[in-house]
Amino acid sequence: MKKNKFTQFDADPIRLEVFKHLFASVADEMGIVLRKTSYSPNIKERRDFSCAVFDPVGNMIAQAAHIPVHLGSMPLSVQAAIEKFSEIEAGKQNALSPGDMILLNDPYKGGTHLPDITLVTPVFQPFEGSSNLDQELIGFVASRAHHADVGGMTPGSMPIAREIIQEGLIIPPVKLFSKGIRNDALWDLILANVRTPTERSGDLWAQIAANTRGVRRLKGLVEEYGADLVAFYMQALLLYTQKMTRKLIGELPDGAYSFTDYLDNDGVAGNPVPISVTVRIRGDQAEVDFTGSADQQKGSVNAVFAITLSAVYYVFRCLLNLDVPNNSGCLEPVRVIAPEGSVVNAEFPAPVAGGNVETSQRIVDVLLGALAKACPERIPAASQGTMNNVIIGGWDPRFGRPYTYYETIGGGTGASQISDGASAVHSHMTNTLNTPVEALEYAYPLRVLRYAIRGASGGKGKFKGGDGIIREIELLSESQVTLLTERRTNSPYGLEGGQPALSGENSVFRSGVEEKLPGKATIVVAAGDRLVIKTPGGGGYGRKD
Amino acid sequence: MTDKGPHHLQIGIDIGGTFTDFVVHDLLKEKISTFKVLSTPANPAEAVFKGFHSLIDKKVIPVPGETPGITITHGSTVATNALLERKGAHTALVTTSGFRDVLEIGRQDRDKLYDLIVEPREAIIHRSWRYEIDERVDYQGNVLKAIDPQEISDLIPRIKKEQIDSVAVCLLFSFLHPQHEEQIAEMLRKAGFYVSISSQVLPEYREYERTSTTVINAYVTPIIDNYLASFENLLGSVSMDSRLRIMQSNGGIISIGEARQNAVRCIVSGPAGGVVGASRIGEAVLAASLPLQDQEVPAEQLKLITFDMGGTSTDVALVDGRPTVTTESAVGGFPIGIPVLDIHTIGAGGGSIARIDPGGALRVGPDSAGADPGPASYAIGDVRDDLPTVTDANVVLGRLPVDYFLGGEMPLDAGRAISVMSKLGSELDLNAVQTARGVVDVINAHMERALRLVTIERGHDPADFTLLSFGGAGGLHAAELARKLSIPRLVIPPMASTLSAYGMLVADVIKDYSQTVMYTGRKSKEEINQAFKPLFDQGRSDLLAEGISEDRMHFNPQLDLRYLGQSFELTIPFDENYLEDFHNSHEQNYGISHPDREVEIVNIRMRASGLSYPPELPRIHTAAGNSSAALLGSRAVVIDESAEQVPLYRGDQLQPASQMGGPALIVRNDTTVYLPQDSFAVVDEYLNLLISIEI
Repeated sequence: MKKNKFTQFDADPIRLEVFKHLFASVADEMGIVLRKTSYSPNIKERRDFSCAVFDPVGNMIAQAAHIPVHLGSMPLSVQAAIEKFSEIEAGKQNALSPGDMILLNDPYKGGTHLPDITLVTPVFQPFEGSSNLDQELIGFVASRAHHADVGGMTPGSMPIAREIIQEGLIIPPVKLFSKGIRNDALWDLILANVRTPTERSGDLWAQIAANTRGVRRLKGLVEEYGADLVAFYMQALLLYTQKMTRKLIGELPDGAYSFTDYLDNDGVAGNPVPISVTVRIRGDQAEVDFTGSADQQKGSVNAVFAITLSAVYYVFRCLLNLDVPNNSGCLEPVRVIAPEGSVVNAEFPAPVAGGNVETSQRIVDVLLGALAKACPERIPAASQGTMNNVIIGGWDPRFGRPYTYYETIGGGTGASQISDGASAVHSHMTNTLNTPVEALEYAYPLRVLRYAIRGASGGKGKFKGGDGIIREIELLSESQVTLLTERRTNSPYGLEGGQPALSGENSVFRSGVEEKLPGKATIVVAAGDRLVIKTPGGGGYGRKD
Repeated sequence: MTDKGPHHLQIGIDIGGTFTDFVVHDLLKEKISTFKVLSTPANPAEAVFKGFHSLIDKKVIPVPGETPGITITHGSTVATNALLERKGAHTALVTTSGFRDVLEIGRQDRDKLYDLIVEPREAIIHRSWRYEIDERVDYQGNVLKAIDPQEISDLIPRIKKEQIDSVAVCLLFSFLHPQHEEQIAEMLRKAGFYVSISSQVLPEYREYERTSTTVINAYVTPIIDNYLASFENLLGSVSMDSRLRIMQSNGGIISIGEARQNAVRCIVSGPAGGVVGASRIGEAVLAASLPLQDQEVPAEQLKLITFDMGGTSTDVALVDGRPTVTTESAVGGFPIGIPVLDIHTIGAGGGSIARIDPGGALRVGPDSAGADPGPASYAIGDVRDDLPTVTDANVVLGRLPVDYFLGGEMPLDAGRAISVMSKLGSELDLNAVQTARGVVDVINAHMERALRLVTIERGHDPADFTLLSFGGAGGLHAAELARKLSIPRLVIPPMASTLSAYGMLVADVIKDYSQTVMYTGRKSKEEINQAFKPLFDQGRSDLLAEGISEDRMHFNPQLDLRYLGQSFELTIPFDENYLEDFHNSHEQNYGISHPDREVEIVNIRMRASGLSYPPELPRIHTAAGNSSAALLGSRAVVIDESAEQVPLYRGDQLQPASQMGGPALIVRNDTTVYLPQDSFAVVDEYLNLLISIEI
């Protein structure tokens, strides 16, 4: 191996680039299999899933560019699986073995919120020259997908709840497959507790197929290059990303930068929920301290630590602004302090459905607000700051079966020092696609009446924020609607004198009469009623002359 | 119109970014000749005109007046460039009320996940030119709100006032109830607009992709119409009896009349010509290898990976019996839902620039030095601005002999290549040779990923395929890539850089039709046949209009199938065993199948082909070749760490049955082939290099 001044480690810069592509292609390929074989619209149409490759201790080595909110949290799922099935915890008999697949969704044991089901598969390879009985762990592959329903109070499993037990079926790390044999009892138990079992079974099979492909590809790499070289370049890539991140942090001016922003409310009590952060830059290290944020809430806006970590990871990954591998090395130089029992590090039994989809966006907003004080030229005004979760479920009279429809709606992005914001797109922690209107009307007893850009909803300024969306849906049968939306009272901020954007609005037209709805609500609607969601724009940047 | 048989002169013309290539097939003389002129991007027809006159001067084609019939098949980037450069027609869009922004919202995702700054995307048609009509059809094709003709009449003057040339019409569920779109189209056509309607361009569900395809058609059709009109005029000045045909993105050709109405079908025609040309070469090689000569080539045995490496990009595609087709392509970020050859393009070519990133990794491409300033060894620009490229790396490694580049017409400057590689390497403490080796390794890794994408990731084992390499830079990298992917066979044809134009010459007339049906449950074969009937009738009548006789027509019905509840379909030929084939294909692609789950027929597809009169490839029957006759001497080539003398052969002197073992170099007029260690080449009677690679 050649040595040179650019590499403290003994990595060959050419091989480094080659392995970067190889690991990324394993994750990419898993993603293709998952998307094309799944049944939940969330997975197949909206691509609300992630696939990644890990080293034997659970560091993420490569992630397919799917959903940022899964970035920091996927390694915690793998680590939870490792911990539960270590020889010390689980005993020699039940320790990780070839052919195992570990399933989990428990937010307090490696998960994020209950609809996100993660499947973790260890990858083993026989020791060179040994019998098949003696195998070496070379890493893990994992897939996470947002399933349309995992039981609980309301269809879609993202209710306005007061405790996590109400949100759906909780799956701690368990072996769905043990040495290649499926645990049928577990399989049946899961399907018996969800509203759309045929769909769930199809989606689980899609994850199994994706992980199987990942295992095959990773083993293929070991066969081609040898276990030692693969292991070596896993670590080399982690160091590479870490080094790039340190360089980035080193370029930021030393100091402490603070910012506070608010969630509208938790859906149960009406008061705004503050999230505060102080980012301390010292040399090539950063400390991100959320002390001062609200305590965990009664409603479902609580984020588990994995979510907070993902948001921090996302922001630093964006600042890097280079084609570096998405791996755990990015967080090495960053220390995250999130007080236990707070809204950014909730504890059992706090409900968490909205932590993943709403609070994660606000954590990004406060981080960017703080960093705007350190490097204003690189930070845009606030984007819509919500995912506008709409969940509709009920009975589909056309097919005589229950249905669950889940959608998130894009909005405006914040303007920046160089340009206006973009209209009608998802921002920051999500990048899911819409369900095509024609696909939706085939699949559900719904009719879309309007899907339009919400004019003049972006904040004004030298550069104006992007506009939000108006989506109007007619319900064709009696259904239950859950809205989990933010930025309905507290608008996305502008920067450097730019104006805030318009906040979002939710309403229902019952027999043609408009009724305003709060940001978070569960209501029953009759056939012929219409739901109108107007999403927020992005903040403006700079004073308009 | 009846099929009068082939004209005696057939010409394929491919207008590329750098060169305009001509391949002329003279049926009487049984001769194929190739010819290139520099392209004239400002007015592409100018290069064609110049080319024609050179061909007349060289007596390859007769002077005007004496000309017998000429059939010209043409592929161009006019439509692609109009779209990429946003220089299409003034275009308006008419949609269902409430949905004019679908075009701009798209799928509401952003292109780059990790950019904090998201800049606005510009839709092809600005909002003020997007109009709504109050009408609605449901998912079963029932009319919920009928159209009011008065509303259309009122709309026309508003559109006229904006000086619009072309109008796209895309209404929800129009593929089930096309009457509303047709009604609007009729009135707009009467008012003098070009009109594209979605129920005709792409009668399939998913409104954004259908709208985008229809809008692109509306946007580029007037441009193509004008361009082809001037092209026809030009032909009139060269030949009295000429027939002009256009290469489509699906690998087939259509008449000029059809192209002037449906320009979206021609949007990536050049690379498609290359894949078709490569398939024909592959068929000839396969036929020659069969025990019984002149027998029909069994389609299932034709398994090729086509690899076209040029100066700025590399196109790869899979031929499994026939070239693979996709309905999920995009140009410039705009989806195109019609079937096109599934060609994967990456920014890796001979001109790709190498650099060291801030983390100390060596990166190559996607930026390219292009033709100007070009690689350092071209010695075109100022030496201080030299950029290290893949071509320079090949010069430093001795793989690209400087004195035989482009047949010796353009000597390369080895000194500048070495100094630019040394400079790059000094940042890594590597010498010029080590750095050059690294540059080649990294670019090969990019291309390997592209090759994996079209094979392994789609469930194909590369070892079952033959790599067919063309393009100016392909020969230097193909053998090493074949080894990386365990592909044991490599073919490099003699027309390495004019294969696209050749492909246009041999392509069939192809018409694709589709219709979303959403059949759930088990449909009887009769019911499905009934649904196919309108597509079959349309295909037959369109082929007749193209001048194809019944005996040369071929129909290929297919079904887009998925498990009920999925969103992605697999396209399966429609025959007795289509269900079983679907389960098997699902298993092959994704590793699982669910034979107990219900299968849904989403779309029916019909491909109607009119078989062409392809030229026999020039063949030399005297198999007495001896490679020593073509030996030019030896050259120092870097193998592993040290330089070694390897034989250098002159490609145009190699006769059939000549054999060469690697390491060796073979120089041809338009490409250089590097034969690495443990590979072995033999020349076949078509003068292809058949290379076997020891894995």
